Amino acid sequence: MECAISFQNLHKTYAGHVEALKGLSLDVQRGEFMGLLGLNGAGKTTSINVIAGLVRPTSGSVLVNGFDAIKQYRLAHAQVGIAPQEEVLDSSFLNVMQILVYQAGYFGIAPREATKRADALLQEFGLWEKRKSNVVELSGGMKRRLILAKALIHDPPILILDEPTAGVDVALRHHIWERMTALNKAGKTILLTTHYLEEAEQLCKRIAILHNGGLVATGSPHELITKILPDQLEIRTDPLLKAIPEGLDKFSPHLDEDCLCLQGSLSDPQVMNALVSLVQHSYKIISVEQKRARLEDVFLQLTSTDKTRYP
Amino acid sequence: MIGFYTYFKREVARFMQDALNTIAPSATSVILYIMIFGVALATRLGLVEGQSYTRFMMPGLILVSVITNSFYNPAFSILQSRLYGNIADVLSSPLATSQIALAVILAGMLRGLVVGTLISLTAWLVLGFQVQEPLFTLLYLLLASMGFAALGSIAGLWTHGWEGVNVITVFFLDPLVLLGGVFYSLEMLQSAPLLKTITEINPFTTIIGGLRAAMIGTTEISVESGLLLTGILALIFVSLALVLFHRGYHLKA
Repeated sequence: MECAISFQNLHKTYAGHVEALKGLSLDVQRGEFMGLLGLNGAGKTTSINVIAGLVRPTSGSVLVNGFDAIKQYRLAHAQVGIAPQEEVLDSSFLNVMQILVYQAGYFGIAPREATKRADALLQEFGLWEKRKSNVVELSGGMKRRLILAKALIHDPPILILDEPTAGVDVALRHHIWERMTALNKAGKTILLTTHYLEEAEQLCKRIAILHNGGLVATGSPHELITKILPDQLEIRTDPLLKAIPEGLDKFSPHLDEDCLCLQGSLSDPQVMNALVSLVQHSYKIISVEQKRARLEDVFLQLTSTDKTRYP
Repeated sequence: MIGFYTYFKREVARFMQDALNTIAPSATSVILYIMIFGVALATRLGLVEGQSYTRFMMPGLILVSVITNSFYNPAFSILQSRLYGNIADVLSSPLATSQIALAVILAGMLRGLVVGTLISLTAWLVLGFQVQEPLFTLLYLLLASMGFAALGSIAGLWTHGWEGVNVITVFFLDPLVLLGGVFYSLEMLQSAPLLKTITEINPFTTIIGGLRAAMIGTTEISVESGLLLTGILALIFVSLALVLFHRGYHLKA
């Protein structure tokens, strides 16, 4: 099956030799809810803006539902609804309703149908009362909702949400989460960038971590955690162990001051066997503590190579 | 076509919803010219190329209004959309870059022609001003508005701030127009050889002379030569605008 989005060896060097993307290759499957994580400047927005037609890649390509985002940009753009990070809204003379109706029109939707869709979205996002207001009269949260409604007005199969919950209150954040989950369940592919790692962990089935313009890891939150920072077991015995028992090499064992540390889980039979063996050798197990890393720990592990960033 | 029409409609709505600030000022200033020159001064200035001064000046005033309005609309609209960032709405849509450029140019043309029509109607009502060759005149104004709307869209892409549009106006449009014979004929410049030379090499002199021939029947410059030059300029500016939009000049990083 074709990918919803396929970044293929994407490079982008801005004027002034700023290398924003260094060969990004990443596939987002159809129907997937993927999180794109990275520090500021990792290349998240640049990669999205290539799809949006706002950035010309230096080399490489992006396919959107099989359409080349550069050579077949009209077909590619029709597949995507983008909610940008910045509050970019046509505030010059259009009111909220007109912004949505015009946006639908750019995507080839006739005025009557566009008005119907705008009505529904304004009600859904709690903006109906503000439909005749200018953007400057909206609060930050309202603008964020309008941006999401704009991305949805042409009912695209793929949604790209660039930090959609940045700066919004808790209630709206939960509303956005519920809406995104429902849209994904209805079959839409969602690519989400966020700095809230708990948000990514909660919503995304798969996560891609970008660092310095390249992909450094991809997988489900659970996979990333177990692969990059596996569970750590701290086993305390009486008497203290003086040597590492045999047969535990695959768990990267080491002796700490007062415990034996293993990388592994209690659910692993070999770990259980090791514990039984200790008991059989007259060691009393005082405690077994399982330490599980969080996605944030994994993220920091993968992106903290540049120690000079925040000294 | 819905997408193209929608963007065109947006660009038209932009100046129509704010007609008091877009249409009215230029129409009003030209109507003031008509009142001052036509009613107060025309009898003292005598005939120019066999025409009353007001009648001689009228085609130039109409043309200047048409081209400045055609120029300003896309220039300000594109610049504003770039500065506010909402140009992304159309760049991220399925609209072709050529459709974006043409919608902007057509809306600029429409604004120029609306102002031109208002001034012509006023001239007809106040001075009884009538056009000799309506079809040629219309073709002329269409081509002129097209060329200068395209130039305006280029200016909107090129400049990074509002001052940039002013720079083009002050250093390019104003000299072109004011030294192009809107208010005088070449035969009036016998005692000013430098001004006469500048006026002669100014392409706007040919454009305005040709329009004057079509509107009031003067013979200093032929309709055809003016029309040809206007058409060539329109072709050059529209082509350049299409190329710049296609390349994403100052639109894409």
